[in-house]
Amino acid sequence: MGLLEYALIGGVLYGLFFGLVGIGLNLIFGVMRMINLAHGDLIMLGAFGAFWVYHLLGVSPMFGIPLEVIGFTIIGIPLYYLVVPRLLATRDPEMLSFILFFGLSQVIEASAVLGFGNNQRSVPGSTLGGGSVVIAGQSFPFAWVVAAGVSVVAILALYAYLYHSRFGYATRAIMANRDEAQTAGINVHRISAAAFVAGFCLAGLAGVFAPYMLGAIDPNMGVDLTTVSFAIVVIGSLGQPLGTVIGGLVYGIATMLMQTYLPSWSNLLPYVLLIAIVLVKPSGLLGRRVRYA
Amino acid sequence: MFARLKSRLTAAGLALVACAMALPVVAAQAPQQIKVGTLYASSGPFATSSQSQYEGLKFWVHRVNKNGGVYVKAFDKKIPVKLVSYDDQSSTDTATTLYNQLITQDNVNVLVADFGSVLTSVAVPLAQEHHKLLFDVTGTGAKFFTKNNPYIVLTSLPTSGVWPKSLAQFLNHKGINHVAVLYDSNDFDQSQAETLKHYLDKAGNKPVYYHAVQSNTSSYTVLLHRIAADHPHAVIEFGYPNNDIAFLQALQSSGQHFNMVFTIFPGQLLDLLRSNVGPQGLAHTYTYPTPPLLRYTKKVNFGLNIDQFEKQFQSSTGKSVDFLTVAGYNAGLMIQKALGTAPKFSQISMRHALAHASGKLFTLDGRFKIRSDGAQVGETLPVGQLQPQKGQKNNKMVIVYPPRVATGKAICPAPK
Repeated sequence: MGLLEYALIGGVLYGLFFGLVGIGLNLIFGVMRMINLAHGDLIMLGAFGAFWVYHLLGVSPMFGIPLEVIGFTIIGIPLYYLVVPRLLATRDPEMLSFILFFGLSQVIEASAVLGFGNNQRSVPGSTLGGGSVVIAGQSFPFAWVVAAGVSVVAILALYAYLYHSRFGYATRAIMANRDEAQTAGINVHRISAAAFVAGFCLAGLAGVFAPYMLGAIDPNMGVDLTTVSFAIVVIGSLGQPLGTVIGGLVYGIATMLMQTYLPSWSNLLPYVLLIAIVLVKPSGLLGRRVRYA
Repeated sequence: MFARLKSRLTAAGLALVACAMALPVVAAQAPQQIKVGTLYASSGPFATSSQSQYEGLKFWVHRVNKNGGVYVKAFDKKIPVKLVSYDDQSSTDTATTLYNQLITQDNVNVLVADFGSVLTSVAVPLAQEHHKLLFDVTGTGAKFFTKNNPYIVLTSLPTSGVWPKSLAQFLNHKGINHVAVLYDSNDFDQSQAETLKHYLDKAGNKPVYYHAVQSNTSSYTVLLHRIAADHPHAVIEFGYPNNDIAFLQALQSSGQHFNMVFTIFPGQLLDLLRSNVGPQGLAHTYTYPTPPLLRYTKKVNFGLNIDQFEKQFQSSTGKSVDFLTVAGYNAGLMIQKALGTAPKFSQISMRHALAHASGKLFTLDGRFKIRSDGAQVGETLPVGQLQPQKGQKNNKMVIVYPPRVATGKAICPAPK
């Protein structure tokens, strides 16, 4: 029984973090219908930001969060206006965005290799307080609890933004139908740019906790993270940001259960789940049928 | 008349024979340069190790060219070495294409594999198919070596099936039972796990936990909790450097404690592990120490010894020495030996030359001894433990088994 409890609680903590990992990707897709294949590389940059904050300033990577938000905003706004309007004006923006963000991913990875080197880097768990926390009689690394807690706060903040703010209503209107939103007088590019930057910042925030949840970080970790994020997003529901939380929890719990009872198959599981969801419920766990008027 | 005809035919026949004999001489003219083809990974999970290995090989090329080239016995002269190399980015797909290119387009004279079993695995069948001798530097997967393939020779490290022999003996010798084995599902780690299990089973010491995980596993917290449920006295983790780092970090942050913990790469890439896990996380960890942690200074009869290598490599490249730079340089030494003693300039002749040198060569990497299938069995991997030293920040590598090479005693069980 102890093993099952541990796997379930560990899976929830791990899954909440992966909800944060995937949510930025889904927000950008929901608003712009573009798959950001550089999403994992943004998480990697966030992780290196945390690493350098700790190593250069000697402070907890948590202090790096505001710096990362500023940094990703500075990068995100010009990138949006440079890339997205042009893509949206083309005949096949989804396919072109695939190619463009793939290119961006390669550029980020190559630049990171040049800038940071290939070696793995890590941040000691003690920088988040260290030690362990007892939950339901089971002991978990404190860093996992902090990462899960911050993930919940970030997801709730996104929920509040989407459902309880004027900008959020406008964002959801664009998610539902970009053309209709524009016709209704919504400044589509302004709202989309905000969502684009929010997606970047959420990726950067996930990156801050990546060293604690994923062991070591290196410039090549982005591709794997993009793949896992994509699986989580599809499991939850593509274009439905809060479905990503469900996707993350399913991924986390299933992975931890597999690690406990069938470790050899644990890394295969997200993709098996992905195939199963696509076959059984193509719109994802929280997906709704699209109504074509 | 018949006699005249007969003598003319005989003369013509002799001329033909002479021409035929002359052909190979023409074909075997000394090349302008010896092309050594290899791959390296500038990115991806094997980049750190691959680049170290590549640096070692480049150092060897630089050294021999500085001395006028490598001596080739078949032509009785020194010929400059040209290194032809491509970046496989740690991808086996890319590596397959590039190995093919080295063999069929660049027509390299010597083929050297990239780091590790994963990137070597695709070179083995290609080299065999094209009858090209593969200088396998660190691809120790036991499946690479078969009786019907003479086109492979493992230059550094014993085949991974041999690695855990000392470890198994140590566990049995110390009476450590209840062993948990967690390994990555690749040739390198799997063959070690299987060998260890074989020796433990044979001694009636059946592992209490024996499971594989995927090589890209990065989360070990729940796995450690699962392992702890079986109350093992020793936890053996066979993985690549990224796995070892994630495993040791998770062990540190999870608060789990085991009497003995073993991982592979602290013995090969100590600086990398130290910078990621810290001295505290490595304290009392067991590993296989390799050069430069294991120093064969006096026995070396071919090439630089470890002291000379460290000094010259650092002054030449400005970089520090780790095991993989040693392995890369050592591969160069084996190429040098093969070319320097093979009577013919052919792949099989080089292979025979190395078989002939087997057991007689002692380099900075240890004894070079190969089986008939090309697997290295001469170098032994003792068991070492990183032991904290009073007043010192870093742990000291103490060789604890086998007794003939031991430099100290194991601290077992590890204190909490």
